[in-house]
Amino acid sequence: MWVKNLLDVCGKELKRTLSDVGVLVFFIIVPLLYPLLYAYLYSREVVHEVPVVVVDECRSTTSREFLRKSDATPDLKIVSYCSDMEEARNLMRRHKAYGVIHIPAEFERTLSEGRQATVNLYCDMSGLLYYKAMLSGCTIVSLDMNRDIQMQRLSGLSDWEKDAMTMPIENEYITMFNPTNGFQAFLIPAVLILVLQQTLVLGVAMLAGTENERRRSGALILGEEYGNPMVVLAGKGLAYLLVYGFTATYVLCFVPWLFHMPQLWQLPTLVAFIIPFLLASIFFAICISFFVRDRESCFLLFVFVSVPLIFMSGISWPTSNMPAFWKVLAQLFPSTHGVNGFARINTAGALLQDVRIESISLWILTGVYFMLSLFIYERMYRSDKMPGVEFVMAMRTRVRRDIRVAARDIKEAGQELKEKLEQRKKN
Amino acid sequence: MSGTKQGFWAIAGREIVRMQSRPLYGLSMIFAPLFCFVFFTTLMREGLPESLPAGVVDEDNTSVSRSILRNLDSYQQTEIIRQYSNFAEAREALQKNEIYGFFYIPKGTQEKASSQEQPKISIYTNSAYLIPSSLLYRDMKTMATMASAAVGREVLLAKGANMDQAMGFLQPIKMDMRPLGNPWLNYNVYLSNTMLPAVLALMILMVTCFSIHTELKDGSAREWLSLSGDNILKAVSAKLFPQTMVFSLMALIYLVLLYGWMGFPLHNGFWPMFAAAELLILASQGFAVFIASAIPSLRWSLSLCTLWGVLSIPISGFSFPVMGMPAALQALSYLFPLRYYFLIYVDQALNGVPLVYSAWFYVAMIAFTILPLVDISLLRKAAHEYTYLP
Repeated sequence: MWVKNLLDVCGKELKRTLSDVGVLVFFIIVPLLYPLLYAYLYSREVVHEVPVVVVDECRSTTSREFLRKSDATPDLKIVSYCSDMEEARNLMRRHKAYGVIHIPAEFERTLSEGRQATVNLYCDMSGLLYYKAMLSGCTIVSLDMNRDIQMQRLSGLSDWEKDAMTMPIENEYITMFNPTNGFQAFLIPAVLILVLQQTLVLGVAMLAGTENERRRSGALILGEEYGNPMVVLAGKGLAYLLVYGFTATYVLCFVPWLFHMPQLWQLPTLVAFIIPFLLASIFFAICISFFVRDRESCFLLFVFVSVPLIFMSGISWPTSNMPAFWKVLAQLFPSTHGVNGFARINTAGALLQDVRIESISLWILTGVYFMLSLFIYERMYRSDKMPGVEFVMAMRTRVRRDIRVAARDIKEAGQELKEKLEQRKKN
Repeated sequence: MSGTKQGFWAIAGREIVRMQSRPLYGLSMIFAPLFCFVFFTTLMREGLPESLPAGVVDEDNTSVSRSILRNLDSYQQTEIIRQYSNFAEAREALQKNEIYGFFYIPKGTQEKASSQEQPKISIYTNSAYLIPSSLLYRDMKTMATMASAAVGREVLLAKGANMDQAMGFLQPIKMDMRPLGNPWLNYNVYLSNTMLPAVLALMILMVTCFSIHTELKDGSAREWLSLSGDNILKAVSAKLFPQTMVFSLMALIYLVLLYGWMGFPLHNGFWPMFAAAELLILASQGFAVFIASAIPSLRWSLSLCTLWGVLSIPISGFSFPVMGMPAALQALSYLFPLRYYFLIYVDQALNGVPLVYSAWFYVAMIAFTILPLVDISLLRKAAHEYTYLP
């Protein structure tokens, strides 16, 4: 009996979803296009050929060699040679260049005396990637030239120099899981997960808003006639899960493939992880949709949340360095666990046991939000009001009353003070 | 003429009542921006992450490898929390997010060192987490170079070279990086300066569009318009005026938060940035009115405004520079008010260049403000004829 009811609710909800253009925008169009736009935005991964200007006060063969080699790196591009720093600064002000390579006059002489010579790099800090490009470009050149200089000096061969040459230990750098060390492979997995959660929230909230608008004009809400909130909730959840089965496949598998991003996932792991993520997101969405009074307010209430949510996931600013309060709050959102799990499954080839903590957290969130929705549904069936909106209204009344009371207290205190001052004056 | 004035204030007063009648406005105009202001400034209050967890793998386990390990002095930003017995174990720790990177000393390091071959230490970082990975790399590279230099320097000094000569040989050319405007490489400076106005602009775009179109949806548009004597320009500006005031207060709060409380660089003083923030508010309102007039449907115009607000964050170029984007998107970036705000901020707050260099950016924001003049007559028409379709 309840299975039939459940499927009944699921079918009706599917029909309602698929016939509502506003909801389809969130469930299909945004997940279809938005990830493409984002991935396209970062498709070049890193910044190449950052324009820099040169102030070469040395004008020697060595300084010219340094500059030629810097220009040849993929990171930098010399756009102009300036006679002094003022001219260079002017070009930076006009956004013609993002850095200055300054070679001091004594550069060559210092080198020939066997002491350490310095090259000064001034860098515009409006984007950290300019800094990174300048640092890595010039470091490569200096390492290269240092080796040549050492070799030259060794041809003169003194014992201690020879000894030292054999000693230094080289080092090499290997970036794991994001071979180009680029922006796309790092940010897009997080964006994809967030798009799934946020479109679910917006779509479900829009459905709930519509329902509430109708309810205000006396209509029954979906499934009320079955009298069993658990069945209604499960039916709705199943309907959304069916839709998002397709959406998630497209977003998480097709988009990264299209942009040739690293995709190291194993199918069983991915499926076993994404199902609890979708379930947690669905019941989370149902839960907060109770705060929505009409169709369009979901935009104003939930869109901005995406911005802090992506930072809460720890994909950008490391979790290990977040204040405890935000760390705890972040646990309440499926996206936090979803981003961390998916980034590692997709980009680092992690298996289910490697993301055990995230996976368990998502199951717990699923349970918590399911129970919470159940509780709210029960109350909703019993009364005509919307518990979420009711709660906000009550809070608002209370805050307003508190403010009024505080204002009155302040006024009274002020009057008392005034009276006292007047009395003192009289005395 | 006094009648005109009354019309303006009557509409403004009516808007204040409307704003108070629903918690939605308070939540989206005051709570949402304030929440994000507090969130971003407190999230990254360290400025630069400290003590990022890293590990080491010593598969050689000889006197040479141990002396390297000893010389890997901890840096402020990097903390070596554990030694792993082999590569696989460290890789697993990386996958589990216990560490963001590790040093790897392979077997045969001592053998190579004694047979005059150059041994090699490898630095691994998890670049799926780009920021900790980049910071860790910088520290670990220095640590490895210093550890190896320490060994070389000891030899040179023992052979009678002085410190100058030793460094002059080990590293003849040295780089001296001078980051302008943000010498601490503070992440909070670089994110919060754009994130706070970005969230505010997003909310402005949505609230403006929403509040205009709800008039149409609720069927109160004709009453609203009649208060202005059928002058749509007056009707819109009077309606948005109280919102402008609330948003200005929010802008003031974030300016004080960033440049007063946090003490972020503000080279040309308060007024250029205050003007930029005010113009960002007006430009966002102007853009939203333009969209709301052009598209006579609450849902579609609100969708477009939302898209614009969200997209303006990456396309402003504060994290990934515009010059690194595909050409089509570079051109598109001119259509976002936040892009101009960001350029003004770089010039006026971060780098302190003369105001004249930013003049065009201010002009662009003014252009967004008066953009609705193009199509606002459509809104008037819609107010007279519109019926809501869900």
